[in-house]
Amino acid sequence: MAETAGSSVKARSKQALQDDFLRKAVKFTTERLKNGKRKATEEHGNWEEWRERGRQIRLHTIAHLDYYLNLFADNARKAGAQVYFARDAAEAAVITREIVREKQARSVVKSKSMVTEELHINHVLEEMDVAAIETDLGEYIIQLAHEPPSHIIIPAIHKNKQQIAEVLSEVAGERLEPDTQVLAGFVRRKLREQFLAAEIGMTGCNFAIAETGSIVIFENEGNARMCSTLPKTQITFMGMERIIPSFEDLEVMATLLPRSATGQKLTAYMSAITGPRRTADGDGPEELHIIIIDNGRSRQLGDPDFQELLNCIRCGACLNVCPVYRHIGGHSYGSVYSGPIGAVLTPALMEDPSEWQDIAYASSLCGACWEACPVKIPLHDMLVYLRNRKVESGTTPTAEQVMFKGFNYMMSDHRRMERFLRLGKVGQKFVARDGYIRIKGPLKGWTNYRDLPEIPKQSFRDRWKELQVEIAQQPRPKTMIQDIEQRMRKVLEERSKGGGSGGGHQE
Amino acid sequence: MADTRNKQGSGKARAIYASKERQDEWMQAIADRLGRPRITEMPQHPFRGAPDFWRAYDLQQEERINLFMNNWTNLGGHAFRMSSMEEVGRFLLDFVRETGAQKLLMQRQPELMGLGLAEALHDVECTVWDSSAEEMIDEAAQADIGVVVVDHAAAYTGTIVVLSSPDKGRSTSLLPRALVAVVPASAIEASLGPILKGLDARPKDQLPAGVHFITGPSRSSDIENDLTIGVHGPGIVYALVVG
Amino acid sequence: MYPRVGEAMVRILARYGVQLDFPKVQTCCGQPAFNSGYWDDARASARTLLEAFDDSDFVIAPSGSCTGMIHHYYPKLFENDPAMLDKAVRLKEKTYEFSQFLVNVLGVEDVGATFPHKVTYHPSCHGTRLLGIKDEPMKLLQHVRGLELVPLPDAELCCGFGGTFAVKMSDISGAMVSEKVHNVESTGAEVLVGIDMGCLMNISGNIHAEGKPIRVMHLAELLNEGVSS
Repeated sequence: MAETAGSSVKARSKQALQDDFLRKAVKFTTERLKNGKRKATEEHGNWEEWRERGRQIRLHTIAHLDYYLNLFADNARKAGAQVYFARDAAEAAVITREIVREKQARSVVKSKSMVTEELHINHVLEEMDVAAIETDLGEYIIQLAHEPPSHIIIPAIHKNKQQIAEVLSEVAGERLEPDTQVLAGFVRRKLREQFLAAEIGMTGCNFAIAETGSIVIFENEGNARMCSTLPKTQITFMGMERIIPSFEDLEVMATLLPRSATGQKLTAYMSAITGPRRTADGDGPEELHIIIIDNGRSRQLGDPDFQELLNCIRCGACLNVCPVYRHIGGHSYGSVYSGPIGAVLTPALMEDPSEWQDIAYASSLCGACWEACPVKIPLHDMLVYLRNRKVESGTTPTAEQVMFKGFNYMMSDHRRMERFLRLGKVGQKFVARDGYIRIKGPLKGWTNYRDLPEIPKQSFRDRWKELQVEIAQQPRPKTMIQDIEQRMRKVLEERSKGGGSGGGHQE
Repeated sequence: MADTRNKQGSGKARAIYASKERQDEWMQAIADRLGRPRITEMPQHPFRGAPDFWRAYDLQQEERINLFMNNWTNLGGHAFRMSSMEEVGRFLLDFVRETGAQKLLMQRQPELMGLGLAEALHDVECTVWDSSAEEMIDEAAQADIGVVVVDHAAAYTGTIVVLSSPDKGRSTSLLPRALVAVVPASAIEASLGPILKGLDARPKDQLPAGVHFITGPSRSSDIENDLTIGVHGPGIVYALVVG
Repeated sequence: MYPRVGEAMVRILARYGVQLDFPKVQTCCGQPAFNSGYWDDARASARTLLEAFDDSDFVIAPSGSCTGMIHHYYPKLFENDPAMLDKAVRLKEKTYEFSQFLVNVLGVEDVGATFPHKVTYHPSCHGTRLLGIKDEPMKLLQHVRGLELVPLPDAELCCGFGGTFAVKMSDISGAMVSEKVHNVESTGAEVLVGIDMGCLMNISGNIHAEGKPIRVMHLAELLNEGVSS
């Protein structure tokens, strides 16, 4: 899952920021999803307890992944599925090709799956001259438009009705009205033929139940059900971390995922598939192939800074609250996964920090993603850890390295800092007007959008001595001082007993 | 388990990825990463399932029925309360006549077979799911209405649950434009919890291949966040609560 | 950069008899370097704070972000240096953002200020999310006489500062601060008040560049002006 070479998030986002429709569409949709989530979680209540429970289940499963993944594979096989372990995209391609060839498949219907995007399975099929048909409405639209998804949950978030009508009209061979019902109706008819004709159905997997060997798929349209019911062969791709122990645990995930993704109590369909059709069944696939994917995931295991990344349930809530995603949309990230999760996952799945350019810098570290995450993944912290690893690998720009060496030199000794500020005061005389600096130059990134405050004539540290004298003369409300003293003393006492957390969260 | 074919190790190139050796290699690699020996005994799982306060969540049967019907209606479905299967039969006759449906597909369930619909509707094709027939999927694709008796329902989310079996095709609840789900009042649980726990409790070889939780009509908001109903699955969904 | 804010904070706290000191050896909490991944350089700067405040009972900062840095990241920054880690944990235990200290430690919600203006409040991300500051500034503002507090639309959206982010991803940051200022403007407030110098520098920089008639103030400044007038 390489980032698009040669072009940075910075460059791509510049383009996206010019696209007024894109920004409005992304803002509109993410607002709706965000508000839907807020409403659904408030209505359900005790959201923090649910989040904590979800986090604990995910932490537990990942901490014992060898046990649960093994159990899943054994049980899925017992149920009649064929289970493969693919280290990377190349291995997944080998397996896929062989099954497709064996089935002499000419067309494959696919339901939405981020992991097949990650593995570029469509490309593998194209090379074999096999039609790979995306059947999720949004995915179908962007496939026809030859674009990657720009949101985990709403892949065509960036397209308007007119654009969609144009794309679909071409397939229809007639002009379709830019009306949602008309467009969706056309897709229903068109894809129904494909579902019935395809030899193979491909799906992703939201959760895999270890104790029963079942795969669980959440969806709203029914296309994943089609892909797992009509074709004779089903291939399911799942990240190796999708495991949960039991159906009981699924109740927690089913509580967190739809509410966080779209504000629904449950998606229209939640399907648990255990093995291929039973011999006496009248429908369902005759063969079920489950391909379990690593592709960089196992690298997070045992890494205290990143193991929690494997807890992600791919709900997209972090995208919907992200102030950066809001302005630049998904394509600016230049990777399969976008938004805060993409900014972390993309580099984390790579072997070497030099492989990624600037995606982990596309965040103001505001922490909205962490707050929204149904399993509380500290994405904002992980972004900083990624940046640190890039620095340690020596692959950050030299100018930046020099700048922070300067920061180090200046900030490690207050006298140096004071000297520097004095110098700055002399320098800015030529560029400062009424308290602000407006030059371009090294700070043009800042000054394109803002003025920079000038260094004050007298710094706080310079003023401290006289301020102390002035304060001594300042009036004080004598009566209050005593209970304030008492309160301060109480805090100190509690702290000495080990009960102090300062101004932080009470943990 | 009806199907225990295992084609692994049959000399195909992909067999190495499906081998027991590879599986063991992977699990060992995971254990190594995690910095401990491989775990092969079931670990203590203190956080299994929903939080305690939620396990206590329950409703009286009437409350369950009302909540289920409310939720189903709010999702864009239609819900009716009926006193008996005879009433269901009358409803179906009216429904078929009113919609001008040409073809109706039913699961092979005794409650439905006993309605005598085929006899009452001579100008309408009434098909019963037959897993031995070759073209059941095509039958389902041509049907206007699919009729099922659900195995479970959950009030809190407005969900029906259908399990696949030789007598119950997965296509019946999926391919027709309209789905009529008969929901025995006694099958309605307060929440998903008891249904999911029931799946855990089943002997492994008795878990059906397909367990489908259906919550309202098929829907999509993929075009400009504009909700459309009936994208791939049924857009018209009826829940007939009986009892 | 903003001696007025430091002074205002000191003046407010002194009114309650709090003994204040400003150890000169402190420089910067190191957040700019830390957030950019330059942890060695961040540590160099952070050490000056650990040294400076070793003897203090309480450390109070007019910035949720710097306080958040100490609380959230100092233990991580010194995780491999037991002696410094110990100091870092002690510093964390006694460090407060200004409004937290005033409300939660001193128990003061009404400083006796009067400020007859229409004001809107920007809740800084690090203050709210890293430190859990939600009500404290509101309580202080609600007790100011004559002050009309108007809600800021989409208040929880980041203003786009993010330290070096504002320079490194300047176009995105610019779009974010423009939206923030647009939202501030839509309230009709005369004054935008906040608790974090980083955000305020960012927002006021944009307001000044655009020539908009909105005053940007730190909460301490507002309170101090309100008690001095």
